[in-house]
Amino acid sequence: MNNQSETNNPLDPFDIMNTMRDANLKTWKSMRDANLESWSKIMIDMVNSDEYSQATGQWLDTYLTLSQPFKGMIDTMMTQVLTGMNMPMRTDVSSLAERLTNIETRLDDQDARLDDILNAIKAAAVVTGLTERLTNIETRLDDQDARLNDILNAIKAASVSKPAADTPAKAKGAR
Amino acid sequence: MLDSPLPMTPASLQNELQQIEENYRTLLRVSTSRAKVGQTPKQVIWTLNKAKLYRYIPVVPAEQRHKVPFFLVFALMNKPYILDLRPGNSFIEYMVKQGYDVYLLDWGAPGPEDKELKFDDYVLDYLPRAIRKVKAVSGSDEFSMLGWCIGAILATIYAALRPDDGIKNLLLLTAPLDFTDKKAGGFVRWVNDKSFDPEKIVATFGNVPGEMIDYGAKALKPVENYIGSYLTLWDNLNNPRIVESWHAMNTWVTDLIPMAGATYLQLIKDLYRENRLIEGKLIIRGEQVDLSRIRANLLNVIALADHISPTCQSESIMTKVSSEDQLLLKVKGGHIGMMAGSGALKFTWPHIDSWLAARSE
Repeated sequence: MNNQSETNNPLDPFDIMNTMRDANLKTWKSMRDANLESWSKIMIDMVNSDEYSQATGQWLDTYLTLSQPFKGMIDTMMTQVLTGMNMPMRTDVSSLAERLTNIETRLDDQDARLDDILNAIKAAAVVTGLTERLTNIETRLDDQDARLNDILNAIKAASVSKPAADTPAKAKGAR
Repeated sequence: MLDSPLPMTPASLQNELQQIEENYRTLLRVSTSRAKVGQTPKQVIWTLNKAKLYRYIPVVPAEQRHKVPFFLVFALMNKPYILDLRPGNSFIEYMVKQGYDVYLLDWGAPGPEDKELKFDDYVLDYLPRAIRKVKAVSGSDEFSMLGWCIGAILATIYAALRPDDGIKNLLLLTAPLDFTDKKAGGFVRWVNDKSFDPEKIVATFGNVPGEMIDYGAKALKPVENYIGSYLTLWDNLNNPRIVESWHAMNTWVTDLIPMAGATYLQLIKDLYRENRLIEGKLIIRGEQVDLSRIRANLLNVIALADHISPTCQSESIMTKVSSEDQLLLKVKGGHIGMMAGSGALKFTWPHIDSWLAARSE
């Protein structure tokens, strides 16, 4: 923590005080650590005892017994409030989440099948010597993909600018 | 706190006060903010429900990389970024640098709609799909699977149920598998007490709250976890390396997630109480889990100071599997410290790397 040893002078009262302070601190720390260690051993023995297991189990049981009715009451109240407000309840959200997971699972199945098909095509291509043609087809598919993206972007751009021009006419028509 | 040599001058007193202020700020920062964790570059390659599969961006050229991909499965009740805690203290970063194609399955935090998820779902729905993706992306039919803690239970069950699915190497870390000794460790004692009712916990909460599981883990070593950890920080406030390491670990320790209710019931009843896995009586979706069907090369890593999964819970699997190539490795450290502590780089990771490298070509 400090560099007292370099400047120690046995006749300097401050040096003596510094040395004493450092020694006291060191002693205090080692005492603290020793105390903690023995305390830790006692606590570990305690939590590993049957008595502690029993006490914790009983405490938890009491807590759960007492809290269950309150939880039930809050759940019922929340259900009534949300139903009254025509809002979805936790069960509704959970049910939607479950359906989403099912959709994800089916998508994953389809992904696996597509991989299988692709692998089968690749294998077939190797067998029939069609690898080169397959690569060409893939390249052309990529090109078409890029062109479709361009068209999509162009349509999007057009649809963004169009409403501004149409608005007065639409408004007029509506009247 | 006062470290300045006597006699104190106004300047040294001012320095001392500045130091105290700085220490106070450090203390406040590390105890109230989140450290930057999980920084090794990665991309999500697959998702299902809350689960995500990450692939870590390789840093070694493809021709120098190990051929067999390395798939990591962490426990269900904590975040998996403990495997990638911070640069320089990250198992994943280390393995990526050693030339592995690393994949990590993050189970995510189960919501109320996931309370019925069981080991059956994790092992037979999530794992096979994630593994399929690992194989598709890596282009390898074989893979190595590492499971840590409850992740090791899942990996073991998977390896026993699907031994022909390409699993070449099975690595288990601090795996709680054998609960024959009902007095070994606090967890086993607590959950075997007749007043402990897991059904009631699940009926009340649905999913078991992360705080409850965290309390259980911390209560096993109360003085170390509730006092010792903070004293270590206090004693080392002037050491940025220790402070930042503490901050990252504290971020992980306090980042809790719940455990799906049905999985918790299976864990307590089928494993901790009835010890069905090691006795060959565990049934997963109608299939009996027979550990002797495991033929993959097996590395079983045990932490000598593990208070969560005592060594007796992890050792016996060695005699149950059919793997001809198997190694039981005992390393220094505790349940988490073994892989994420300051000694991991010296005592654990190189051993895992050297074992796996020889079996990844």
